Amino acid sequence: MAITRRQFLQRSGAVTAGALLGPSLFDNLFVRRALASTIGDRYFVVIFLDGGNDGLNTVTPVTNGGGTLRNDYEAARQTGNGGLRLLPGALAGTLVGNDPNTGAQLAIHPGFGDMIAPASGGLKALYDLGKVAVFQGCGYPSYSLSHDQSRTIWRTANPLGLGTLSGTGWMGRYLAQNYAALDIPGVTIDDSVAAEFRQTATSVLAIPRVRNFGFPVDDFAPDDQMAKEAAFDALCTAAGMGLQPTDAYIGNSGHATLISTQSYPGLHSLYVNDPSRKVFNDQYVGTNGLNTSTARNLLEIAKIINGVNQGVPNVDARFFQLANGGYDTHSDQGAAATDGQQYSLHQEVGNALKVFHDDLADMGMIDKVVVMVWSEFSRRINQNDNGTDHGSQGPMFVIGGAVNGGLYGNHPNIAAAALDDDGNTVYSQDANPFRSTDFRDVYGTILKHWLNMPQATILSSVLPLDTGSASDYWTVQNFDLSFLP
Amino acid sequence: MGDENSTLSNAEARHLLRRTGFGALPRDIATFTGTARGDAADKLLAFRPQGFRPSGRDFNAAHNKWIKSLIKPRSPLQAKLVLFWHDHFSTAIAKVEDVGLMGDQITLLYREGSGNFKTLVKDMNRNPAMMEFLDTVRNRKHVPNENYARELQELFTLGVTDFAGQPNYTQDDIVQIARAFTGWDYDRRSSFLNDDEHDFMAAFPGRGPKVIYTTVGGFGPAGRSFTVNGEGAQEIDAVIDIICQHTDSQGHNTVARRIAHRLLEYFAYPDPENQFADDMVATSGFATSFEITPLLRAIFVDDRFYTTSAPAPFAAGTKKSVKWPVDYVVSSLRLLGMRLKGRDQYVDGGSGRSIFDQLSDMGQLLLDPPSVFGWDWETGWISSATLLARFDFARDLTSARGNGGTSFRPERLMDLGLTDPTEIVNAVTDVLGVSDQLTSSERQALVDYLTDSGTNTSIDLNDDTVRNTKLNGLFALVMQSPAYQLH
Repeated sequence: MAITRRQFLQRSGAVTAGALLGPSLFDNLFVRRALASTIGDRYFVVIFLDGGNDGLNTVTPVTNGGGTLRNDYEAARQTGNGGLRLLPGALAGTLVGNDPNTGAQLAIHPGFGDMIAPASGGLKALYDLGKVAVFQGCGYPSYSLSHDQSRTIWRTANPLGLGTLSGTGWMGRYLAQNYAALDIPGVTIDDSVAAEFRQTATSVLAIPRVRNFGFPVDDFAPDDQMAKEAAFDALCTAAGMGLQPTDAYIGNSGHATLISTQSYPGLHSLYVNDPSRKVFNDQYVGTNGLNTSTARNLLEIAKIINGVNQGVPNVDARFFQLANGGYDTHSDQGAAATDGQQYSLHQEVGNALKVFHDDLADMGMIDKVVVMVWSEFSRRINQNDNGTDHGSQGPMFVIGGAVNGGLYGNHPNIAAAALDDDGNTVYSQDANPFRSTDFRDVYGTILKHWLNMPQATILSSVLPLDTGSASDYWTVQNFDLSFLP
Repeated sequence: MGDENSTLSNAEARHLLRRTGFGALPRDIATFTGTARGDAADKLLAFRPQGFRPSGRDFNAAHNKWIKSLIKPRSPLQAKLVLFWHDHFSTAIAKVEDVGLMGDQITLLYREGSGNFKTLVKDMNRNPAMMEFLDTVRNRKHVPNENYARELQELFTLGVTDFAGQPNYTQDDIVQIARAFTGWDYDRRSSFLNDDEHDFMAAFPGRGPKVIYTTVGGFGPAGRSFTVNGEGAQEIDAVIDIICQHTDSQGHNTVARRIAHRLLEYFAYPDPENQFADDMVATSGFATSFEITPLLRAIFVDDRFYTTSAPAPFAAGTKKSVKWPVDYVVSSLRLLGMRLKGRDQYVDGGSGRSIFDQLSDMGQLLLDPPSVFGWDWETGWISSATLLARFDFARDLTSARGNGGTSFRPERLMDLGLTDPTEIVNAVTDVLGVSDQLTSSERQALVDYLTDSGTNTSIDLNDDTVRNTKLNGLFALVMQSPAYQLH
């Protein structure tokens, strides 16, 4: 049987269980608790819907309003076998208001309103609480239909491929401005570090499950464990000081990993042994809980936030990433049927977010956490046999206690005549009624209003403006979208 | 300047073996040291393209059978090349959901991985696992499904952009190529064209002639028609022939350049110079022959291939590659002379977890790459989670007790009569192939560990306690060191 570090420490009597939350064996002087000076007591979570979420069936026109959105929608999405049309009756429970431009009544996908206990109403319930900002038609100039290229563009916030931004993620550039080499401000809930975090200036972690995040112990030589860890740290420190970037990166990652293996596993028991938290633990994963990968991953973030909130040493992550795959619905996308592909995906994300919200509210943290949801592109306006091919602009969501909920931006113009030669909606920064939202305005508003980064610094080091025509490119920022105070 | 007649030094022989196989074993290093580069390359490339089929009753079993074969491969280079193509033609059992179809595809890679690239792509067009994975079986005449047509160009052949950042194809080209692939299906593992579901021009005159690359590819404004041999099954071969004639904005054969570049990334180092790729294409004739073996030979005799074998401390510009998890696992087992145990193929010590679970934690399950893009290489392999998974595996190896080839037996690898701490560290790093890859301060960290920071200066490795703690610990630490993650 595997021995965990915790069991080792308990068996060897080195420390008591409670002391796991005390000072680290190797105190990391660099993990600062001075964040209040930059962002206050705040957190930021990013959720990536991997594969290209079909925007037209995520925020769907129910009526024409003063335009033709519903007619255009019905021309693009068929009924019958393999048809993807969402009928008004199926959308009645998830209405979100009227399109600011056309006045068409809009609804989010019925999967977001699913009433599965314990989440009670999913994302729609949060929307009704005024905690969800829905951004329509988000994109960037000269869209790419390649998953890889487009997700790289969103993660680097570098649509024009500027060499100065090469190899760094947009969150990484923010972190590099605000944190030192051995700080550990970010965690990806996965095996690998999300590309948004990519940079080499500070350390970020990838943790699938905090409970299992232990440095290996040799059962045959428990007394030697401290010597091994000290030697490992010396190896990493030496490599970290070297000139070769890959070797140094592995050294720094190794050091941050070792430090964190001493503090993160205890976050699990801190959470589940707290009766108030256990209620939510059961909602995320218990027998009557959601037990989806998104719920399980958000639970890990909740454990870490709970730990930071309670002052656990060497745990001070404020930035989190997770992904939920399966959105590349070329075939069998499904419409409103509850066993459809897109329905299940939306249900999973919406319900998990609802439990996460309720958990944070119970912790008294709900006003301190903002969640942003994105996908690398939307899908083709006209469906194929029973799915959709790759498309252009699509919706984003921002969720949190501090968020001013509601509809932002315009529904894209999906009239057949307005589509480009490839059948996709067109990105435009004109003052026209269907003006797109550049995703960098959403990022920038979060950086400026949530993470307190000065606008000038955002523009100079995180989100440089495009050059090009003011209609087709992002040449004027708007970091004051009103979804954050 | 070296060439194919230059003889391999000990370090170069180790480098060649490490990059073309799974760990450099002492007897192989001895065989190759002093051999001419060309002769060494010929010897490595002389394998017969025999098939291997990772089969079994389920995914887990097929995966384990494959891993087992890598520990004792008929040809390490053949096996390593197949891993490259598996990443290149990334197909995942998660979507295919058929272990038999996946096994067939891997057999195809074993048979054709060192042969002709054009033939390989043409056979991949008709490969049932691929047809499932990228929706060719769901590509019908009325609404062509673009998935395969896009990835064929983006990933398998041309790439989105060329070396100058210019686009290699347009959305129109994707749509047209998707038409060529309409109506394909397979039955009992052989694929065929169902004419009823094929997009014939006469039936869809509005879609225009089946012409591609009118604005890119160097074919002029007329582009190239893929119905040169008539409409029907022959169209998809014609598409590959045209793609392989495509030239980029700098006038180079686009596919040849890109495949050479990718093979250099895999076998030589990350981010290889464009000139390096162009030189390899030129000397091998790959742009006209598309024969893979001569291209590989050109790489293995080139000076630039050997630059990253330089000893520590590494210069800032030395391009080190991160070992793939499969390479980490298989080369460690081979260097330690160990096997995995039982149907679950586990290390008989430590966690007792199956190799399937351990490789999953390290971020690489064969037969199940994370997406059509394959795995994220280099620092993409490295995270706190994947590092810990590697470290767990190292701990498991060195704590493996029992009998025979599944236990850790350092006495078969080195002289346990050594008592000098520095000599012991040298012996262990030599077994693990990193004796010249550690800096003096890293070496000192290992000596400090062994001697408890100088408290014990004479070590008796034959003492059971010392052996179980310090010697096993030393092996594990070296396998956990940053330098050992590189090659």
